[in-house]
Amino acid sequence: MDKDLVDYALSYAQNKQVEYAEVRAHNEKSEDLSMKNGILDAYASAVDSGFCVRILADGGIGFASTNKWTKKEAESIVDVAHRLAKSAKRKDKITFAKERSVQTTWKAEEEKKIEDVPAETRIAIFTEMDHDLTSQGINVPGRMFRSGTTLTDKYFVNTEGSVISSYVPKVNAYAFITVVEGGKSEQAYKQFGYSGGWEALDEWRLTEQMISEAKMLQSVIKEARAITPGKMDLICGPEVTGIAAHESCGHPMEADRILGREMSQAGMSFIYPRGPFWLGTRIGSSIVNVVDDPTVKSSYGYYEYDDEGIKARQRVLYKSGVINEFLQNRESASKMKTRSNGSSRSTRYDRETIVRMANTFVQPGDWAEEETFEDVKHGVYMKSFTEWNIDDKRFNQRYVGREAYLIENGELGNRVARPIIETTTPVFWGAVDAVSKKLEYEAATCGKGDPQQGIPVYTGGPMMRLRGVYVK
Amino acid sequence: MSDILAKTESVVKKCKTLGADEAIARTVASRNRQVRFSNNQIDASVAWNYYVTDVIFSWNKRVVATQIANFQKTDQILKRLFKLSKVSQENPMHGGFAKGKFNYRKSAGDKAIDSLENPAEYVFEAIDAAKKTAGPKTNAGGIFLTSVSDVYQVSSEGSSGKDCRSAVELSIRAFSEKEASGHSVECSSTLKGFDPASAGKKAGEIARQAKNPQTGMEGKYDVVFDPLFVGSLLGMWGSMASAYYVLVQLSIFVDKLGEKVASETVTLRDMPAAYSMSNRVFDDEGVPTQENIIIEKGLLKTYLHNTSTAKIFKAKTTGNAGIVAPGPWNIELDSGDMNKEELFKQVKHGLYLTNTWYTRFQNYKAGDFSTIPRDGIFQIENGEIKQSLKNIRLSDNALRMLNSITGISRERQHVHWWAEADPPSLSPFILMKDVQITTSK
Repeated sequence: MDKDLVDYALSYAQNKQVEYAEVRAHNEKSEDLSMKNGILDAYASAVDSGFCVRILADGGIGFASTNKWTKKEAESIVDVAHRLAKSAKRKDKITFAKERSVQTTWKAEEEKKIEDVPAETRIAIFTEMDHDLTSQGINVPGRMFRSGTTLTDKYFVNTEGSVISSYVPKVNAYAFITVVEGGKSEQAYKQFGYSGGWEALDEWRLTEQMISEAKMLQSVIKEARAITPGKMDLICGPEVTGIAAHESCGHPMEADRILGREMSQAGMSFIYPRGPFWLGTRIGSSIVNVVDDPTVKSSYGYYEYDDEGIKARQRVLYKSGVINEFLQNRESASKMKTRSNGSSRSTRYDRETIVRMANTFVQPGDWAEEETFEDVKHGVYMKSFTEWNIDDKRFNQRYVGREAYLIENGELGNRVARPIIETTTPVFWGAVDAVSKKLEYEAATCGKGDPQQGIPVYTGGPMMRLRGVYVK
Repeated sequence: MSDILAKTESVVKKCKTLGADEAIARTVASRNRQVRFSNNQIDASVAWNYYVTDVIFSWNKRVVATQIANFQKTDQILKRLFKLSKVSQENPMHGGFAKGKFNYRKSAGDKAIDSLENPAEYVFEAIDAAKKTAGPKTNAGGIFLTSVSDVYQVSSEGSSGKDCRSAVELSIRAFSEKEASGHSVECSSTLKGFDPASAGKKAGEIARQAKNPQTGMEGKYDVVFDPLFVGSLLGMWGSMASAYYVLVQLSIFVDKLGEKVASETVTLRDMPAAYSMSNRVFDDEGVPTQENIIIEKGLLKTYLHNTSTAKIFKAKTTGNAGIVAPGPWNIELDSGDMNKEELFKQVKHGLYLTNTWYTRFQNYKAGDFSTIPRDGIFQIENGEIKQSLKNIRLSDNALRMLNSITGISRERQHVHWWAEADPPSLSPFILMKDVQITTSK
């Protein structure tokens, strides 16, 4: 990466009449494999490198990027961004919250160097996984595996004196399987993600997990029965807790969404100025604590400084069931007369940095997992989910169980076929009366922005018990 | 031959010199601009340019790929790629890249888009139209996108060509109240005849009608879908026609070739036409793109193929490569014999749904899924819009829905928005019977 050219672009921008300018460069080495039904379709290896400039001038924002590393191109994108910023002609001028400048270097630790792992090793892991998966006596006619690594160097400078270099290696894997039995099918999707080195594979136990999923799906086809709809207790496994934390806590707490900046795409929020929900409003029971924390080491959403150069920290979103703190970048923070809490992220050098989650999870409580079942007379344990969605104000959500069991008088019973909870955010979080001690994470790719920026995150939490919710 | 095409060809020659059995290089020079707006003001204006060559080659049925952005490193990158192919794994299903020289039709790209002086004017025109329709307090947001890509592609198997692909999109969502909104789009390959005000006007009209929404009720309804919502459904059905998704069982069309998969009123095509945002004259193997009838009068006629998936199914490529996964470019549902008003008159008690988002499946093979209608949701009584609704979910089955289309309008609209109505499509209004609606409890 030519840091001198990045510095030159910034100095060229400083010579214009700007309120603020930053230049952000990414150099990303990637290796990706795609396997279908046990056969490697293709293996790709590439380096993507470029830089962008974001300028605040006359109260408007202009952004331009390039992957050509020349002085002429640097000048060109600065000129374009400056012109675009001035073209906004806003009535209320955009400003950025004041933050202190930072000069630092940071990186994610990499125990087993990704660059030391040859392609043949990577391919062999998935070939063997496919072999083992199809040697279990289970009919798995559809198997789609994808895996990749990225080694991302970033260099960020701005007109306030920040100079930040970073290096983050990431490993990811996706598996989608279809099990067929007696003409019926069930499907499972699993995603894995990690910031760090190849040690990720030791933690994931991919083959073991996917065989377990295949066996479970076969049992669901053979044994699971629909539940009689009605009000009952629902115990959410960590995977279900995590998706709810992401969808109906993390997203509605994004300040740009609250202010309407995503109104046409990802949507708005049930939280808005002078509305029924705001900071200090109760949204859940008093044992509900949901945080977003980029500083979880090795997490898929890990970072030390965000893409505006702001120090990352944990954000407590729902605190004791009360709306506590929004996710902010410098633009939204200025509008809300507060400070950025380091929530600004961008997936690439050619994408604007916007408010994003990092790792959103329910904080553990003090219940042992088995205790949460003990006084459930009639209910469902939804260990994992398949279909899910939520409306664009993040109020009406639905989670459909992938692996689920009946609970009768505190005991786990038969498998339940795709039980559904379809409810509102206050009903969901207000029904929580027990939270277990053990925190687990799941990797996910969060979608937002236009063009779409699929960004790595963790969702997570412990087991949660919801009392008297409608399950069908 | 242009300099860039010659440079692209030299990459292919280098691959062959290194020992590749076959190679394709594609150089893309693209210029993209987007204006993002909300609360009736411009939030950010963005420009992003690329210049990159994608290279894919096979050696002994091992398929490897890379990108070259820095041409000074071309030799080094290709040597590394060749080494990679030696340690990669054989793909016995690799059917080779398409062979032969092809004649391509004229590119539809509109280079005038590059010289568009003030895209903000298009945005303000749309906002003004929305306000004029829904009232001065209307709050609108969206994007205006222009994109032009020059694509130079050379294959060692004989094809060589240049394409200019262009797209213009204005997407606007207007709110007349906090919970009353309308969304509309104007999409094209060209600025000629591009009318941002028409999108603003329609978004405003829906937003105006959507005021004072009541919570909807669960049940089965006859539903009229607006072209924007139909765009999401066509994206869902069209993508499932990809042979790749059939092979991995992520499709309702598995083992259904030649069978009835839709009502007789349904003829579904993939059509990379000149008007489309997704216009192109060749696919990623250099095969000329073409019209493909996926479903004809309810019968599944073909999957969408590249050369490799075609060989697996003993078919011919349909010009839809993706080297790994073929896919649709621009989906068209053939128009029907009723106009919009006649379609509404068919409905005694039903719904009119104008847009949707967040479509997710329980099981792609079985087709069970749900999606969340947003923006204008209306109750229809005796053919007339009676009441604005909110907070409903469509929870149904993709195959059942295809078989329940009973009416299609004559008028159609070219639509695309975000990842929700993608790929682009030419969508009519449709009438569907017995659609399952659920709500939160």
